[in-house]
Amino acid sequence: MADLSADLGFCTLKNPVITASGTFGYGEEFLPFYDLDILGAIVMKGIFRGPRSGNPPPRLHETPAGLLNSIGLAGPGADKLQEIIRRLRAKTSAPIIDNVCGEDDDEFAEVAGIFSGMDEVAMLELNISCPNVKKGGACPAQDPGHTARLVKRVKAGIRKPLVVKLSPNAPDIVGVAQAAQDAGADALSLVNTFLGLAVDLEARKPVFANVYAGLSGPAIKPLALKLVREVCLRAFVPVIGIGGIASGRDVLDYILVGAAAVQIGTINFCEPRAAARIIAEIGMEMDRLQIKSLSEIRGKLQA
Amino acid sequence: MQDERGLIEEARSLDGGYYLLKIAAPRIADAAKPGNFVMVRISPSFDPLLRRPFGILESRPPYIWIYYQVLGHGTRRLSALRHGDSLDILGPLGNSFPDMPGKRVLLIAGGRGIVPLFHYAQAYGGRRPLLLLYGGRGQADLQLLDRIKALRLQGLFIFSEDGSLGQKGLLTDGLEKIVREERPDVTLACGPDAMLARLALMLKGRGLENHASLEALMGCGFGACHGCAIRTADGSYRKVCDEGPVFPLEEIQWPT
Repeated sequence: MADLSADLGFCTLKNPVITASGTFGYGEEFLPFYDLDILGAIVMKGIFRGPRSGNPPPRLHETPAGLLNSIGLAGPGADKLQEIIRRLRAKTSAPIIDNVCGEDDDEFAEVAGIFSGMDEVAMLELNISCPNVKKGGACPAQDPGHTARLVKRVKAGIRKPLVVKLSPNAPDIVGVAQAAQDAGADALSLVNTFLGLAVDLEARKPVFANVYAGLSGPAIKPLALKLVREVCLRAFVPVIGIGGIASGRDVLDYILVGAAAVQIGTINFCEPRAAARIIAEIGMEMDRLQIKSLSEIRGKLQA
Repeated sequence: MQDERGLIEEARSLDGGYYLLKIAAPRIADAAKPGNFVMVRISPSFDPLLRRPFGILESRPPYIWIYYQVLGHGTRRLSALRHGDSLDILGPLGNSFPDMPGKRVLLIAGGRGIVPLFHYAQAYGGRRPLLLLYGGRGQADLQLLDRIKALRLQGLFIFSEDGSLGQKGLLTDGLEKIVREERPDVTLACGPDAMLARLALMLKGRGLENHASLEALMGCGFGACHGCAIRTADGSYRKVCDEGPVFPLEEIQWPT
């Protein structure tokens, strides 16, 4: 039986499958489907200090093998999420990663500080890359200078490992990745959604009130895999690959280009038991390919 | 909530791009309450990627019936499925219409909005007085009449915009008279947003209890994606999937 454990340096996950922020609710929504203990880790839906109502509908638009979303980080705020996390901890032993958001650097630091203080939280993921918060899709992850400043500040106020989630919409994602790790990020996760546009031809208007929205799903896998490889070639911290994963083979593709673990996102909506299936498939594929451990193929793409 | 492999027992093509599916899904059929819906994975491939939400027209274990209209890519793919094909179905999902013991209930259905109200009438017909106001653009939007007439209703009022069936006009044209003469205590409605918005205006301050079942684009159907938000009268958003799909009519902020 293959060893599925995933080494993040500062910790080892029982397998590389982490459920991605915004695609797994607050974990509780998936309790009816399978035992969450099987997961490598769970990332909470992104949270701000206070409650946020999110964007006006429509919030979704399906594309071929993809999904454009403009949810707008709707959420109950940090106080309420602490209660939810305590409740979830009672239901599962899977490591919980809190996804930290902010309108500005102060808010990022404050929210990170709150969740750093929770024993139930294993690590933090800094969401510097959500495209749906501001009109036009700007975020700190666009800019290496801003990223470095923010990561340094957040890192100074917490005592948990910090994963920094990068945007594929940055003009230079490798530069932003380097800025984040130089500023103290313990790991990088990428990619968040690609900015895309859908129009309503009849109305001659954009489908979404924010004009642009974030594209996810199997359609983005080759684009994301390329960016993950480019970042892995320069990164000295572990990289968590995200983008269009829907099978065990997809996971191994990301490991092969250098990812230490992965996050699965949109497939959770189409197939609520997807993570359980994918974890089983990784083991079967590894046995079939006679791979004993993930480290055996991690970053071993011959190109 | 069940995650069940449903087997298509019968797929009937009806007028106007409407279809009626009879699906063997015993666990879902057992648990379904009037107002619940299901999320159907139309294809195991990524075409379409997301499941599609459908109301449950009728549940008679081991079967459920889905009545839908081809409106886009997903429903077009669904309409190609035949007897013997299977579907991955998640359900029953969402809340249900409140039981109304001892109340006189007026059901108001616009076109395919008949779906959850038919289910309600099937479950409660004969046990309390039910009336149905059913409207559509024309005959094609007013199907299933043989089944509807078999429900134990105390009154059936049909309106078509083109006059091809029942009285000519919008169903809201007949509402005033029906409310005055039939004196319902409760209305349960499902139909296009414009119809529900008009109902909200017309029924305001009449002393009736009004509930509506809403339709929305959905990503997951079980509360995880927050994609199906609807704005409520207090300005906040509610999720149609797990906080609905049935809401008090006056709680929703209808477009003016």
